[in-house]
Amino acid sequence: MGSLLIAGAALLALGASAAALPRGPALGVWIQAVGAAAIGIAGSIGFLSGDSVGAVFASELEPRLGVDPLSGFFLAMLGLVATPALVYATAYLRDDARGRATAVLCAPFVLSLTLVITARDPLTFLTGWELMTLVPAAVILVTHADAAARRAVFVYVAVTHLGGAGVWVALLLLASHDAIGGEGLTSDSGLYVAVTLAAIVGFGTKAGVLPLHAWLPRAHPLAPAPVSALMSGVMVKVAVYGLVRVLVEWTGPAPIWVGALVLALGALSAVGGILYALFQRDLKKLLAFSTIDNVGITFLGLGACLLFRAHGEDAWAALALGAALLHALNHAAFKGLLFLGAGSLERAAGTVDLDRLGGMLRQAPWTGSAILVGCAAIAGVPPLNGFASEWLTAQALLRLPAVGDVPDGALGALSLAALATAAALAVYCFVKVVGQALLGPPNEHTAGACEVPTAMRAATLALAVACVALGLAPGAIYGRLAALAPGADAIETTAGLDVPGSGGLPTPALALVLIVFFGALVLARRTSTAPAAPTWACGQEAVPALGWTGAGFTKSLRLVLEALLRPEREITVETRGGVVRSVTYTGRVPHLVDEYVYRPVTVAALRLAAASRRVQSGRLGTYVAYLGALVVALLLAVKLGALG
Amino acid sequence: MSAPTIAAGVAQVVGGFALAPLLPGLVQQLKARLQGRRGASVLQPYRELRRLWGKSAIDVEGTGPVYRFGPALACAAIAIAVLLVPAMSTAPHLGVGHDALALAGFLALSRFVLAAASWDTRNGFALQGVARDLTLSIAVEATLVLALAAAALVAGSTDLRTMIAGTSGTDPWTSPALALAAVAFLLVVVAETGRQPVDNPDTHLELTMIHEGPLLEVGGRDLALLQWAAAARHWLVLVLAAQVFLPHSVDPWAQLALLPLALATLCAALAIVETFVAKMRILLVPRLLGVGAAVALLGIVSWLVETT
Repeated sequence: MGSLLIAGAALLALGASAAALPRGPALGVWIQAVGAAAIGIAGSIGFLSGDSVGAVFASELEPRLGVDPLSGFFLAMLGLVATPALVYATAYLRDDARGRATAVLCAPFVLSLTLVITARDPLTFLTGWELMTLVPAAVILVTHADAAARRAVFVYVAVTHLGGAGVWVALLLLASHDAIGGEGLTSDSGLYVAVTLAAIVGFGTKAGVLPLHAWLPRAHPLAPAPVSALMSGVMVKVAVYGLVRVLVEWTGPAPIWVGALVLALGALSAVGGILYALFQRDLKKLLAFSTIDNVGITFLGLGACLLFRAHGEDAWAALALGAALLHALNHAAFKGLLFLGAGSLERAAGTVDLDRLGGMLRQAPWTGSAILVGCAAIAGVPPLNGFASEWLTAQALLRLPAVGDVPDGALGALSLAALATAAALAVYCFVKVVGQALLGPPNEHTAGACEVPTAMRAATLALAVACVALGLAPGAIYGRLAALAPGADAIETTAGLDVPGSGGLPTPALALVLIVFFGALVLARRTSTAPAAPTWACGQEAVPALGWTGAGFTKSLRLVLEALLRPEREITVETRGGVVRSVTYTGRVPHLVDEYVYRPVTVAALRLAAASRRVQSGRLGTYVAYLGALVVALLLAVKLGALG
Repeated sequence: MSAPTIAAGVAQVVGGFALAPLLPGLVQQLKARLQGRRGASVLQPYRELRRLWGKSAIDVEGTGPVYRFGPALACAAIAIAVLLVPAMSTAPHLGVGHDALALAGFLALSRFVLAAASWDTRNGFALQGVARDLTLSIAVEATLVLALAAAALVAGSTDLRTMIAGTSGTDPWTSPALALAAVAFLLVVVAETGRQPVDNPDTHLELTMIHEGPLLEVGGRDLALLQWAAAARHWLVLVLAAQVFLPHSVDPWAQLALLPLALATLCAALAIVETFVAKMRILLVPRLLGVGAAVALLGIVSWLVETT
């Protein structure tokens, strides 16, 4: 396993150099894809065998690397997304300076993700962590030269570094007390509070939970499709990995408030993320917001795990952790698929604006089918993988009131309601994506669109197969995931899912019965022999202008939640000579966290900066005077004994 | 296999697949009587199904496989839901389990597929109905899951057979949890069956349709499948209401004997509500259902206070 991992890393490095050759990036990216697959296979071996190789965690600041089953699982997740993403990139990246630069930067991105997951000391971890943040920023800057992209990258780097400072604080505090790798920290110390809060803020920012998410919907859509897939599919999960290490593995059972805080953040992100996703026109932005939703669902499982541990219910804590990790993996599969699919749509139709797309299932049947599977999976409908992990998370949340006290039991029930709401919103959101982008006849924007190259098709289809497979047999890995929790016993699982105190979810049987019923009904219905007729539009011709836009389709929800969302709309009617010449409609749903949290903070920071500028006169004499005053002040302090 | 198990299996399969159309027929008949009309026979839904089964369908121009096979898949999802919901606490394991949350998943699958099929037709009125249905479904799903969760906590499992057994008798009714969950679930019943004050099943005006909207472009056997699915949805939620959320017997034979009576009572209640309550403004319905979710949450909290 160790040698396979090293070989994978070496291939990635080799691929990066090969991609820079003037022959074009394809060969180099193929080599990188093989490297990523090797890393994924090595991780799967580590995860499935339960063995560890290399060093174990230590607090000393000297580089050491190693893989244990938890790291192996995240490496497998990385391989699952990175391999198809890189195969996709072989056809997606163009043979020009930008394409080559992106191809070269893909390898350091995958390597930095690997470094964070395999790091066994704080120094290596933090190095990998910073690289993982900065490499995608470089990719975006390479591919976009406009001011808007630079601004988005600035927000991305600024927010992730301000929030990410929490990761430094948490890890260095743990290291200074020699608490990395063991349960050395008891939950009653002030240090524990500092470490926990810093970790939740630091990792939470990178994971993109509300309200620390401001960078995510800005940065993820800008990157090229394979890098977006890696960012949404894997990078945010690496933050979940860090949180699991700090909150579950390296510290003892957390007090109630930690679990409650994680649960509340999860519930807020799950509902808030998908709610704003629903109102996006840009498919990639929609997918970025939906990442917030899915990270929220992962946090719900993690929060439930922490609360169960606090109540000493270790078996349930293991099941909840398994649910969270399984959802993280499932999300990696379908979000990777959907970001790659969005890139394919952009390549085929020239746009990712949902109001302009349409009929892509006919124009690009393979890509369209894969996206259809991904949308159904992310909408959480059985028998696909999204439903399996949401079902597990719901079972864990449902159990919270049964073991907890009144406040955390009520919070568990509220989180369950949030999960159900988010699931229903996800159906709404992704049926809109399917309908707007894929279904119906092609329109004037997509009439000339055609299927994308084979490598891009194969990558999206492979991930669609992964979504189906994980939906059919989630039990194959779920038992091992639950066993990763400290103090957990191995549980016997079948291909389906079964949780104590539930009716069970025999996924293979459910899928089989569904197919049998569906097949029988398809055979029973007769194929239509009559010629097709136009759709009913009250007798008039169904022209494209009568079609629904995303804004129209979501209007009823916008009106129901008007008090919460505060949508803006403006209608300008231009009349000349008593005749209406033109009607302009602009409407948008402003992002309230941006408007009411980030904007005041930014304005205040800028004002503070402007005020402090008065001290900077720019004249040499003033600075000499400052220095003189400082020396006098220090001398006085020494004289008065204030410095000891 | 014991006699109560066989009886439960037969009741579930025969009732859910064959007798379900009786339920909307009964509601329509009772409603007509309440309104002073003679009304159509209780068997009218069967006649409709027979008529539609003999008709050929006309495809919509520009549609693809999602439109063509959507109704069959939506119907298959509801058929699985029928297998998931037991009629009695002794129901046999039909291979798919009896989980309450899985039921919510298959209802969502049918909604997803039907909405996608409507998008394929690009029919404005169908999509209007879909958009409204999806807006309501957000509150419906939260209320459904919370009501089921309250009953599951009382019974100690989300297995619907255990839930029927665990909520039977008089003991569970000594705490208000089940009663509050029942109030919430009755709102779900009204919403899932598409009846007033949430939706008007008799409307044939395109602008006012909710559940009828997605059926607009569907004809022939596909429409028959979807009409059966609507009837089966009546069966699913009414059986759950009768066997989990209303007082029922511990004894399986008494459960079986009283089930038709409970279903008829619930149908009568739906008919009475539909006769005396006007349709609500669509934008106010989520508020009503939100109240339902809050009531179910209150039920869970009251159970928590009781047990801890």
